Amino acid sequence: MTAFRPDRRRFLKITAASLGSGLTLGICWSELSADPASAAGDFQPNAWLHIDPQGLATLYVAESEMGQGVYTALPMLIAEELEIDWRRVQVTHASLDPAYGFQGTGGSRSIRKAWKTLREAGAIARHMLISAAARQLGVAEEACFARESRVIHRPSQRALGYAELVDQASRLPLPERVNLKSADEYTLIGTPVPRTDLPGKIDGSAQFGIDLRLPGQLYASIRQSPVFGGRARSFNADSVRKLPGVVDCFALDEGVVVVAYSTWQAFQARKALQIGWSEGTQPGLDNDQVLKQLSDALESSTGKTILQRDAPSADPGPKSLRIERQYALPFQAHMTPEPMNCTVHMDGQTIRIWAPTQSPSSARSSAIAALRSLGGDWALESEEALESRIEVNTTLLGGGFGRRILQDYVTQGVKIAARFKQPVQLVWPRDEDLQHDYYHPFTLHKMSGELDDQGLPHAWRHRIAGLKADHYGADELPYDIPRVQVELQRLDTPIPIGPWRSVTHHYHTFAIEHFFDELARAGGHDPLQLRLKLLNQPRLKRALEIAAESTDWARQDDQRHLGCAVHSSFGSHVAEIVELQGTGNQRRLAKVTCVVDCGQVVNPDILKAQMEGAIVFGLSAAMKAPITLARGRVTQSNFHDYPILRFHETPDIEVIIVPSHEDPGGAGEPGVPPLAPALANALLAETGRTGGGLPLDW
Amino acid sequence: MTTTLNINGATVSVDVDPETPLLWVLRDTLGLTGSKYSCGIGLCGSCRVLLDQRVVSACRLKVADAAGHAIMTIEGLSESAAQHPLLQAWESLQVPQCGYCQSGQIITAYALLQTHPNPSDQQIDDAMSGVLCRCGSYPRIKTAIREAARQLSAQEPRQ
Repeated sequence: MTAFRPDRRRFLKITAASLGSGLTLGICWSELSADPASAAGDFQPNAWLHIDPQGLATLYVAESEMGQGVYTALPMLIAEELEIDWRRVQVTHASLDPAYGFQGTGGSRSIRKAWKTLREAGAIARHMLISAAARQLGVAEEACFARESRVIHRPSQRALGYAELVDQASRLPLPERVNLKSADEYTLIGTPVPRTDLPGKIDGSAQFGIDLRLPGQLYASIRQSPVFGGRARSFNADSVRKLPGVVDCFALDEGVVVVAYSTWQAFQARKALQIGWSEGTQPGLDNDQVLKQLSDALESSTGKTILQRDAPSADPGPKSLRIERQYALPFQAHMTPEPMNCTVHMDGQTIRIWAPTQSPSSARSSAIAALRSLGGDWALESEEALESRIEVNTTLLGGGFGRRILQDYVTQGVKIAARFKQPVQLVWPRDEDLQHDYYHPFTLHKMSGELDDQGLPHAWRHRIAGLKADHYGADELPYDIPRVQVELQRLDTPIPIGPWRSVTHHYHTFAIEHFFDELARAGGHDPLQLRLKLLNQPRLKRALEIAAESTDWARQDDQRHLGCAVHSSFGSHVAEIVELQGTGNQRRLAKVTCVVDCGQVVNPDILKAQMEGAIVFGLSAAMKAPITLARGRVTQSNFHDYPILRFHETPDIEVIIVPSHEDPGGAGEPGVPPLAPALANALLAETGRTGGGLPLDW
Repeated sequence: MTTTLNINGATVSVDVDPETPLLWVLRDTLGLTGSKYSCGIGLCGSCRVLLDQRVVSACRLKVADAAGHAIMTIEGLSESAAQHPLLQAWESLQVPQCGYCQSGQIITAYALLQTHPNPSDQQIDDAMSGVLCRCGSYPRIKTAIREAARQLSAQEPRQ
């Protein structure tokens, strides 16, 4: 147990009339508001813990549940310290308050940012309940402890339930000093508590954005320019308006909209649209042009140095060897199972938005910009005035993977709904969703390495050119190689680019980890043994050792080929080993073993599910046809030409968790980056053939 | 035009274009939103329902063709078969992640177990390969089906 002083910039007892009576604690985990210079008067809570007079605790947060289990893991943190039956803690999505600061769910961040603060909040509330009990019983606080929603006076075994204490506790000041459990005292954290959101996801009652049904609701759909940057110049509004169930048909900057009495009628009307487009600035853009743009960049310029090591190295010797490779990593789409959609009701003063969004903050700012762009009275209202009128309700998300950090569907939903008194639900059909994504970018990687007489790498150069590419994942190299040079060129593009599960780590890790195997093999070394020799990140090394032991790495023959890869991202360390059985046409993807060290695990079953999901997600990108461009547009339109991994193609997956009490790392993304290179390395082990990137030549 | 349907054991009449896919009648007209739209062309399996105990994609079935058949959606299945080992295995193995495709997964697995109470791995693969899951719940789906099959065979009266 360790004691802490509640930080007045992070916790404040507040009265929130909207939450009713009870004990309410405002919690602030925003780094911005935690600025030491800001006084307590500037306190801006971005979460609330409310304990009602029945002893039911509710955590109000703006995190989005997209399958990653955040509605289970966050209340576990509270319940651990609050000493409350964890089923008496629920999460409610807080409607967005402008005072929050930025609210978004991404970057595998939720647990990392809430870890300390939510446990402290639970401990503060527990302390206040104990104080209240001590006063009621007329005993010393020190003689009391809390267990299962009750405060017990140890000597007399007299006990009071939280429900009896909440009222008095709410009138006490915040405590000066509070005890926080140490890891060996946890009873809930680290256990596989069942997820709170699953019952509705099994009986069909879970409500995603697309499931919202409001009285009088209209249904809209949109056709956007197939060519990026194009605008509708003409369209057959009159004939489309006459179609069954169509309420209206009109153009926005983003495309042509149809509004009807049902989704199906809106989709049919959208299909009947005949639109003359102006085709933007690059109507001829295609994959060859993109590849040439990136190749030319690597030919003509060195780019920005993002990692450099220039340690003096010994003479490599006369038999030194230079290896060069080039890897191209293609565009990928998110393909969230629930297509983009948004429901907006703008009757009267309040503008109500329901969106399956990863960022209610961005949804709100997008809505403000959308309204102001409409001109008229909207443009006369101040941003602050508009802000106070907008209510963003985050629904469950049918997949996120980074796509729903962008808010284009909210912008459109608001512009459409502004024309109607009724609520309007905008739904993109699948082809619209796939062809107007914010794509994982195309990147090109030129690798070169030098081996000394012993076949050990003594020089490493990684040159990257990518569309809006960033450095994360390439600016560290976990291997002891004396001379390292990594350069990045971030090129601009009209193609929409956005975050995709593991973001930049996916493409950089493929290049680094696959090239490492090329070097190891050229130098006559076992790729796993060479990693263990050169890895300078101890947690990554330990994960790989466990994976090697679990898969019996040394046992490889002409029918069993293994490939490994490692990567640290989002605060977690992951090693993966892919096992192939058979060769050539008889080859089978038999198993993926994943060893993860993400520090203290909050819920091991959710962590395992995230790793399983990351592996399946990574396999789709590694093995299936990518997104391609031709004539300025995305070629693919649905699951037949942008396929994802299917049930029968999925290998056995074993997830091994490294026990740790380090602060938690992320869980949603770190499982993705090692997968593709581990698979490429297994194929290299089998075929000996050098590949050029993704998708792999399976 | 009025079409009379038998959905989850109840008779309902809907006044829609007979060409309308059953999916949109379920979702927009009747408010049964458990069946999901994802691909719209019968590729992903998220909209699957049972038609006389056969699995069909509701996005590809005209409502006129559904008339005269017994339709079961996830809402009906989860009510009428709440104690079915399949749903219990889904819960105990914590199968869903985002959950969007799960009604299609459960409907399909349920139909499999109706015809093959003790399916082989090949039969499981054949039945489930038509329902896509972006979150990667496949390994748990496989385990859940096997677990449910075990429970079902244990429940069978001994000869």
